[in-house]
Amino acid sequence: MIDFHTHPLLVREIIGDNPELLKVTRKIFDIGNNLQPLDIFFLEMDVSEIEKAVLLPIDCRRSKGLPILSNEIIGKLCKENSRFMGFASVDPIDKDASKNLEEDVKKWNLKGLKLSPATQDFSPTDKEYAYPVYEKASSLNLPILFHMGMSWEPGTKITPGYPMLLEEVAYDFPNLNIVIAHFGWPWVVETAALSLKYKNVYIDTSALYFDSPKEFIYFAMNRQIPVTLIERSLRDKIVFGSNYPRVEIKNMANAIRSLGLSEGCLELIFKENAEKLLNI
Amino acid sequence: MIIKLEKIPIKSKKDVEAINVTPIVEDVVEKSGVNNGIVFVFTTHTSSGLIVTEGLPCLEADILNHLEKLVPEDGDYRHMRYLDIDGRIAFNADTHIKSILGGINTFFPIENKKIVKGSRQTIYFLEFDGPLERTFCIQVIGE
Repeated sequence: MIDFHTHPLLVREIIGDNPELLKVTRKIFDIGNNLQPLDIFFLEMDVSEIEKAVLLPIDCRRSKGLPILSNEIIGKLCKENSRFMGFASVDPIDKDASKNLEEDVKKWNLKGLKLSPATQDFSPTDKEYAYPVYEKASSLNLPILFHMGMSWEPGTKITPGYPMLLEEVAYDFPNLNIVIAHFGWPWVVETAALSLKYKNVYIDTSALYFDSPKEFIYFAMNRQIPVTLIERSLRDKIVFGSNYPRVEIKNMANAIRSLGLSEGCLELIFKENAEKLLNI
Repeated sequence: MIIKLEKIPIKSKKDVEAINVTPIVEDVVEKSGVNNGIVFVFTTHTSSGLIVTEGLPCLEADILNHLEKLVPEDGDYRHMRYLDIDGRIAFNADTHIKSILGGINTFFPIENKKIVKGSRQTIYFLEFDGPLERTFCIQVIGE
């Protein structure tokens, strides 16, 4: 079982007393819970029956002043802990973005690219600066996980997360695997449509914006769309993501398991689809 | 007069769990230098508990299961909304209510450097929202 969407922003061994990293956790990502030792992260995975977790950075140095963790921090964590797999993040507007992506991916054995147009303040359809980064990711066989939909981070807008913005990218880069994070909420129907239409568009489940995880997931995945759409048509296109520590892994995993999907479909969502995207 | 306060970190390994902390409390009392006095034990978290009961695995399960029946995780609570102080959705009203029902503290007299308690009385830290690193406090007061 794999959690495709986590941020190690409450890990005491990483954040510690470092004022810049504390600012990232408290002010930029905006999470107020107590720091916890790294082994609590693993225990959280254990109680959720998750074997491996994808760790995500966001290179928002230009827009926010500091990155939501660097590729180096993510890379070192993954190197020291076999249950972690890391993604890279680069600022597409940086003229060295493609070069940095290739270097960091090779140096730290990173498995994908994380981008957030809202947090990083860039247009995902810009052909001048964004497309070369997509070309590089495609040539390196890296999936791109796009933050789409609403973000809780302060100072970000909802509109840059409109998932239909990615249609052009999916169309222009048919060999680039795109994962739409947070089920693109509130644009769940649009997100599902993109994934139905384009073979290279996937979805992660890390959506929680009101009510409890079970209630929200039921609303988004059995009211905004019918759950049969997932069971019958999108079973090969959805990966489990929790967005930990914005929510506990156990609660999001239980919410997905409570949807009434078949065991075969859950196996795809929790394991096989992620393994395919991560080439493992 | 001796007054000593120990803040004890404890790691829960499960979602809900009863952890026997009696030996830790006894050890703190023994090392405190207090011959006769009182020991207070309390948790510093609003989603955990501190109770005294007979030390049996079957009772541990019964207590946790009964609290879940009284206050089910999937109940209808107002505390299921975005909390800007945490930057996330709060949805653990049941754990807070379980904490109230179970209680968050206990105390025992100390006589001749030993806790005065029944032979079956066991002090438990109750985790309602784990796994997490938690803290409970032991304060020893006496002479």
